[in-house]
Amino acid sequence: MPLEIKHVTKKFNKDKTGLADYSITIDKGVLGLLGPNGAGKSTLMKIIATISKPTEGTVFLDGVDIVQHPDNIRKILGYLPQDFGVYPNLNAYEFLEYIAAMKGVGGAGLRKRIDMLLDGVNLTADAKRPIGSYSGGMKQRIGIAQALLNDPKVLIFDEPTVGLDPEERVRFRQLISDLADDCIIILSSHIVSDIETIADEVAIMKNGRLLDKAIQPDIISKVEGRVFETLLDSGELTTFKSKYLVINTSRQKEKTKVRYITKNNEMALDSTAVNATLEDAYLFLTHNA
Amino acid sequence: MRYIYSIVKADYLQRTRSYAFLITLAITVYAAYSFVPPPTASYTTLNIVGYKGVYNSAWVGHVSAMMTTIMLSLYGFFLINGGIKKDIDTEVGLIVATTKISNFGYLLSKFFSNFLVLLTIMGCTFAVSIVMFFVRTTGYPFIISDFVVPYLLFAIPALLLVSALSVVAEVFLGKRSILQYILFFMFFGTMLANVTNLKNDNTAIIADAFGVRTMTSSIRNKVNTQYHENVAAINLGFTFNSHKKAFRTFVWNGVNWTGFFLFSRFLWICIAFALVYFSSFFFHRFDVKQRFGKKKKALIKDHMQDVKITAPVGVSMAALPPVVADYGIYPFIKTELLLLIRQGSKWFWLITAGVWVAMLFAPFNISYGYLLPVIWFLQVTRWSELVTKEKFNRLHYFTYSSYKPLQRMLPAQMFAGILLALALALPVIVRSIVTLSFYPVINIINGAIFVVALAACIGIVSGGKKLFEIIYFLLSYCVVEALPPADYLGAIPKENPLAYVFTMLLLNTFLILTSFTVRSYQARHL
Repeated sequence: MPLEIKHVTKKFNKDKTGLADYSITIDKGVLGLLGPNGAGKSTLMKIIATISKPTEGTVFLDGVDIVQHPDNIRKILGYLPQDFGVYPNLNAYEFLEYIAAMKGVGGAGLRKRIDMLLDGVNLTADAKRPIGSYSGGMKQRIGIAQALLNDPKVLIFDEPTVGLDPEERVRFRQLISDLADDCIIILSSHIVSDIETIADEVAIMKNGRLLDKAIQPDIISKVEGRVFETLLDSGELTTFKSKYLVINTSRQKEKTKVRYITKNNEMALDSTAVNATLEDAYLFLTHNA
Repeated sequence: MRYIYSIVKADYLQRTRSYAFLITLAITVYAAYSFVPPPTASYTTLNIVGYKGVYNSAWVGHVSAMMTTIMLSLYGFFLINGGIKKDIDTEVGLIVATTKISNFGYLLSKFFSNFLVLLTIMGCTFAVSIVMFFVRTTGYPFIISDFVVPYLLFAIPALLLVSALSVVAEVFLGKRSILQYILFFMFFGTMLANVTNLKNDNTAIIADAFGVRTMTSSIRNKVNTQYHENVAAINLGFTFNSHKKAFRTFVWNGVNWTGFFLFSRFLWICIAFALVYFSSFFFHRFDVKQRFGKKKKALIKDHMQDVKITAPVGVSMAALPPVVADYGIYPFIKTELLLLIRQGSKWFWLITAGVWVAMLFAPFNISYGYLLPVIWFLQVTRWSELVTKEKFNRLHYFTYSSYKPLQRMLPAQMFAGILLALALALPVIVRSIVTLSFYPVINIINGAIFVVALAACIGIVSGGKKLFEIIYFLLSYCVVEALPPADYLGAIPKENPLAYVFTMLLLNTFLILTSFTVRSYQARHL
C-alpha cells in the first residue's frame, strides 16, 4: 500500500510557497521528516491528511487519488496535528467516543477499545476528569490515543513528543516501533534524536523542497569522514565559524570544544575525527541547500 | 504612555483585521443609510406621532448622530467585549502580566482600543450621513457643524462610556459573557427610558448618558409650539407607520447647546475614565486560575489523592478489539447535545428554567412574542459556538480529516442545535397544539431552524462567534420590539401566513446551503 506524492506544489499566495514540485514515495515503516521551520513538513502532512488541497500535483494511496477521493484515506488515517486542541468540558472517555464517531468506529467493542487505549497511554485514572484540567503531556497522550482509535494504516504524527516527559517519550518510541510493521508512519520532529531512534527512513526538507530521502546510514554517509572536534580559545570562534560549519559548542574550562564539519575536507589543526550522526548530516544538508 | 500607544495600536489592528469587523462595518453603513429614510418610506427613525422634520442639515445631522449613538452603544458593547478574554485565551496576558505595565495602564489601553474600534464605525456612519444629506435633501444648505457637533456631543461621550463599561464588565465578571450582556442591556434599557422621560430638569439631563434627551425635548417643543399639540411620546429607533398615513412636516434648526448640557457630557467622559481607574484595583492581572479555578483545583487535588499511580503499560494494537464500522450521525448528535448542555454556567440553566416555566403560564402572546425570543437569546453563546467551537478549541484538524465531515459533522451540529431550540420552545408549541393553532408550530420550527442556520452561516463565513452574537442580539431586540421585518418567529399576525412560511423556508434553505458550501471549501483548505 504505497503512498505516492507526485509533483505536489502548494502555494499560499503569489509570494509564499509551502511545497514546490514535491515528489516522494512512502512505504510501510517509519518515515521521519526533518527540516527547519517553514520547510513544509506540516504542509505536506496536512495534504496527506486531506485537510489541505495541493495547488498542483496528486497524492495516490494504493493507486487511488486521495486529493479527489479523500474519504479513501480518512477511514484508515490516524492524525496527530502539531497544535491540536480538545473540548475542555468533555472527559477523556467522552472525547474518544466523539473522535471514534468522526472516524466511523462503533459497535460493542468500542468501549473496551477506548478503555484499553486509555490504559495504554496511562490515562485510566483520569478518564472521568474534564480534559480542560489536563496537563500538556496528558493532552498529548489523549492525542496519541485518538490517532489509534480506528486501527489506522496511515499514521501522521506532527511533533508528537512535544510535552511528553522522558519516560513517556521512550514509551512513545516503543509504540511507534510496534506499529511500524503494519502501517505507513510519517513523523516530524525538531528533536533529531527522536527521528534517529524511531525512523527507518529520513526525508530532509527545506523551503518546500525535498533535499534527500534515504535510510539513515545512507544519509549519514554524506558527512562520514568530515566531522571533527577541536578545542578553541573563545576569541577564535567567530573566525572559525566563517571557515567551517559548526554543529555544536560546549564550554570546557578556559576553552570551547567545537564539533564541526569541513566544507572541503580540510580540517583545522589539532582536530580529532569523530563518528558522524544524523544531526550532523541534517545540518550539513540544510546548510548547503 | 508610549507602551500604551503600542498596545492600543496592536489591539486595534488585531480586532479590525477580521471578516467579522468588515461585515459589521458593512451592516453599519447600510444602517446609516437607513437612518435617513426616503420621504415615501413607511418608517421613520424618530417618530413624533405622525410628525417628521424636513431634511435640513440640522435634522439629518442630529438624527443620524442620535441613531448612531443609540445603536452603536447597544451593539458596540457586544462587538468590543472580550478584549481581555482574548488575552487570557491566547495566553498573551501571561506575558503582559510579567511586564512592568500597571493594571491601570493595561486597562486604559484596552479602553482606548475599544473606543477606537467604535470610533471607526462611527466615522463611517458620519460619512454616510453627509452623503445621505445630499442624496435626500433639496433646497436646504449644508452646514457641517450640524453634523460634527451632535456627533461630538452625543456619540463620543456615549462610546467612551460603553468602552469603559466593557472593561469593567470583563474585570468583574470574567468569562461570564451572558451575565455581562444582560447587565449591560439592563443599563441600556434604563438609559433609553431616561431619554424618553418627560421631565427636563438638570437631574434628568445629567442622568442621560447618551445626551440625546436634550434633542428630543427640543423637537417636542418645536412640534407642540408649531402645531399647538401636546405631544408627549417620542419613539426612538425604527418606527413603522402601518396605517400608511402621511407624516406632517416641520422645520427644526437644531439644539441650543447650554453650558449645563456640555458639563453633563464632560461628566460622563470623566465617569468613563473613573470606571477604568476603579476597576484597575480589582483586575486579576491574568492570575485567572487562582481567582476562578480554586474550586476546580481543589477537586482535582482531592481526586488525585485517590488515584493509584500505575506503571505505564503501553498500547498493544493486536490486543485491541476489532474495529467495527459505524458511519451514523447519532453519536455526534449525542455529543453535540452534551456540549451544548455543558457549555456555560450551570446556574444559568436556572434562569432558563425560570423563563421556560413562565412560558407555560404567561398569556400566550407574551410567551410567544417575548419570552420565546428571550429564552432563545439566553442561549446566544451556545448557538454562536455551535459550528465555531472546533476551530476555537483547535479541534478542526480532527473534524476536517474525519470521514465525510460535511455529510455527518455539520448536520449533526445543526440538528443538535435545532433540538435544543425546540425543547426550549416546547411550552409554546404544546399550547399551540392544544388550541389547534398549527401556524405557530410551523413558524416556531422554522424559527428554530433559522436561528441555528443563521448561527452556522455567520459562524462559518466569519470564522468567529462575535458577529452572530451582535446580529442575533439586534434581531432579538427588534423581535421583542415587534418590528415586522425582524419577525423570524411569526409572532406578529400576517396577511398571508402561508407566504410567510415559504419565505422563511427559502431563507433557511439559503443559509444552510451557504453554510455547507463555505464549510466544504474550508475543510480542504486549512
